[in-house]
Amino acid sequence: MNRQLALMALIGLVMFCPRTWAELVVEVTKGQDDAIPIAIVPFSSPEEAAASFDVAQLVSDDLARSARFKSMARKDMIDQPHTGAKIGFDDWRRLSNDYILVGQLQPQGADRYNIVFELYNVLNRQRLLGYQISANKAGLRLASHQVADMVFEKIIGVRGAFATRIAYISVLGHLPSKTYQLMVADADGANPRVVMQSNEPLMSPAWSPDGQNLAYVSFEGRLPTVYVQLLKTGERHRVSARAGVNQAPAWSPDGRKLALTLSTREGNLDIYTLDLATQAATRITDDPGIDTEPQWSKDGQSLYFTSDRAGGPQIYRVGVQPGDKPRRLTFQGSYNARPRLSPDDSQLAFVTQEDGAYRIATMDLRGRGDVLVLTRGHFDVSPSYAPNGAEIIYASRDRGRGVLALVSADGRVQERLVSSEGEVQEPAWSPF
Amino acid sequence: MQAFLREYSRPLALSVLLHGVLLGSMLLVTFISSQQHLPPVQPLPIDAVVVDSKVLHAAQRAQTERAEQEAARARADAEAKSAAAQADADARAAEEAKTAAAKQAEAEANAANQAKAAEAEDAAKAAAAEQQKAAQAQRRSEADKAAAATQAALDARRAAEARKALEASQAAASRAAEAKQAAEAKQAAEAKQAAEAKQAADAKQAADAKRAAEEHAKQDREAELRRQLADEEHTSAVESGPLRDRYISLLRNKIQNAWIKPPSATAGVDCLVQVTQVPGGEVTGARVTQCNGDAAVRQSIENAVYRASPLPDPPDPALFERNLSLRFRPNE
Repeated sequence: MNRQLALMALIGLVMFCPRTWAELVVEVTKGQDDAIPIAIVPFSSPEEAAASFDVAQLVSDDLARSARFKSMARKDMIDQPHTGAKIGFDDWRRLSNDYILVGQLQPQGADRYNIVFELYNVLNRQRLLGYQISANKAGLRLASHQVADMVFEKIIGVRGAFATRIAYISVLGHLPSKTYQLMVADADGANPRVVMQSNEPLMSPAWSPDGQNLAYVSFEGRLPTVYVQLLKTGERHRVSARAGVNQAPAWSPDGRKLALTLSTREGNLDIYTLDLATQAATRITDDPGIDTEPQWSKDGQSLYFTSDRAGGPQIYRVGVQPGDKPRRLTFQGSYNARPRLSPDDSQLAFVTQEDGAYRIATMDLRGRGDVLVLTRGHFDVSPSYAPNGAEIIYASRDRGRGVLALVSADGRVQERLVSSEGEVQEPAWSPF
Repeated sequence: MQAFLREYSRPLALSVLLHGVLLGSMLLVTFISSQQHLPPVQPLPIDAVVVDSKVLHAAQRAQTERAEQEAARARADAEAKSAAAQADADARAAEEAKTAAAKQAEAEANAANQAKAAEAEDAAKAAAAEQQKAAQAQRRSEADKAAAATQAALDARRAAEARKALEASQAAASRAAEAKQAAEAKQAAEAKQAAEAKQAADAKQAADAKRAAEEHAKQDREAELRRQLADEEHTSAVESGPLRDRYISLLRNKIQNAWIKPPSATAGVDCLVQVTQVPGGEVTGARVTQCNGDAAVRQSIENAVYRASPLPDPPDPALFERNLSLRFRPNE
C-alpha cells in the first residue's frame, strides 16, 4: 500500500512539474544596424537561357541596393545547389550566411520560362519560401524583381518595392534647343522609355492610384496645361487648361479627382479639386498668399499643401469639406515645402532649408511631430515615397548635373541613381 | 542502259533490297522511339503557398507537445498498469491468503462442529439408549451401537487431548529456544563488552601517542569547515553577485551585436526567447515564446541567438545554465 502511494506521488511529480527555464533573464535593447548576409546562388539554366538572363544577379543587385542585405560573392561559394535538398547548411553557416536563395530558370517551350526558387534560413534550416513564377523572355526582369520583393518581405517584414516603376522628367540639350521628356523606368532605373516629349517644359508627373495613368503639366501650348495620359496606349486627355496657372496635379485616393493649383484673374494661386468626370472645380483654399503643391491624405478627407501666407513657405493641412480652416504643421526653419505623405500617413516628407541648402526632411505625424533631416546635399528636392514607405526618391545635383537619389525613410541608407545623359528631375514613385 | 541493267541486275537487285531493309529498319526505329514518350517534365514539388515560419513552429511545437503528452500519458498508463498489476497481484495474494485462512477456519470449524455434533449426538444417543434400556432391554444392538459411538467420541476426545499435549510440548520447546537465544545473546553481549573493554584499554594505552595526531585531525577538521564555509559563501556570491551580473552582460553584449533589427522592431516590442546551450556555449535551440512583434522580429531574434553562438563562457562555471531566457526589448 505504501509502495503504491509512493508510486502515485512520483507520477504526480513527473506530470505536474513545469519545464523549468533558468531565471537568467538577459535584456537586449539594442540591435546592430547591419546588413543581413544572404547567399544568392546562381540559378541553374540551360545555356541559351543563361546567356539571356541572370535571375540571381538581378535579385542580388536589388537586395544589395536596399542596403538591408549583403549578398555573398559568387567566387566565395564552394557549392552551387539549385534545390533545397542539395543545400549543405553547415557549410553555408560556416560561411556566415543567414539565408540562402536557390533556384532554376526552366525553359517551357517557345518564349516561356519558369523561375523556380526556394528561400531557406541557414541558421535553423527552415524553408521560408517556395515559389514558381512564369514569364516570357521580356518579363524575366519583372519576375526577378518579384522574387526579390518576396525575399525582402519574408525577411524584413516589409513588402518589397523592386517590381515597381518611377516616372521622372529628363532634360536634354541646352537652351535654346532643350528637349523635355516624361520618362517611366523600372525602380532600378532599367528599361527607361519615353512617355511624352516636348520642346517646352514638362513638369510634376503624378501617378494615378491604379498605376495606369500619369497626370502632368505641359507647357507645349505656351500656357501650363494639365494632361492625363494612359500609359498602355499613350492616349491622353487635357483635363485643365484654365486661364492663368494650372499646375501641381495630385490624384485623390479613389482616382476620381485631381487636386491642383489654379489662379484667379488677379494671379492669386489657390488649391482646387477637379472632378475628372464632370470637370467641376471646387475651391479649397482662399488666401491672398500662394497656396500650391497639394497632396491628399490616405482617407481623401484632407489636403496637405505649401503656402507662404505667413511669409515664407510652410506646410499646412486643410479638410476638403468647404470652409475648413488650414492649420500650419511646420514651424522649424524658414522654408518647408513640397509635402509628400508616406503610404500609411504616418510620416510627411518635405523639402527644408538648412544652412542655406535644400534637404529632404521627414516629420512624424503620429507622435510629437519630430522633424528629421535625412539628406546632406545642397539641392535635394522633390521627394516621393516608395509604395512600401521604406524609401524616398528625390532629385539632387551631382557636380552641377540633375540626378535622382534614394534615402531610406529612417535616413540610414542613401543611394544615387545616375542617368547616362542629361538632367533628371521630379521623380515620382509608382504605386504597387 | 539495258545492257548495263542486265549486266548488273543481280547487284542492283541486292542493293535495292539492302536499301529497302535499311530504310525499313530506320522507320521502325523512328516509330518505336516516337512511341516512347519522354517522361513529362515533373515540376518541382513547390508549394504555391508561403510557409509561415510561425505556423510551422507552432505546428512543430504542438506536435512535440502532443508527442510529449502522449509519452507522458503512455508512461503514466504503464506505471498505473504496473501499479494496478501489483495491486492485482497483492489483492490476489490477499484473496488467496484469505481463502486459505477461510478454508482453514472452515476446516477447523468443521472439525469442531463435527466433534460437537458427535458429542451432542453421543449425548442424545446415550440418553436415548438409557431410555430405551429402561423401556426395552431388547434393543441391545442399538445399545451396542451407542457404545461404539461413545467409544468414537472417547477416541476423539483422546485425540484432542493428545493434540493439546503436543501443542503444550511445542510451546515448551519454543520457550526453551527463546531461553537459549537469550542466553546466547547475553553471552555475546558479555563477549562484546569484554572486547569493548579491551578496546577501551587499548585506546587508553594509545591515547598519549595519539594526542598529537588528534590535534592535527582537529586542525584539519577546522580547515575543512572553513573551506566549506568559503565554498558556500562563494556559491551564494556567484548566484547573486557581481559575477552573475557580469555573465548576463557578457551574454547581452554578444547577442545584441548579433541582432539585426528589422524595421518593425521598434520601441514597445517585447519578446522572450528560450535558448538551449551546451557546455562550451554552442546554441542548440532558440525559440521565441512570447512576442508582440511580427514574424520578421521573431525570426531576427532567433537568428541573433544562433549568430551569437558560441555564447560566452560564464566567469564562473557554477553559473552555467543549459537553458536561458532572453528578453528582447528594443528601446528607441
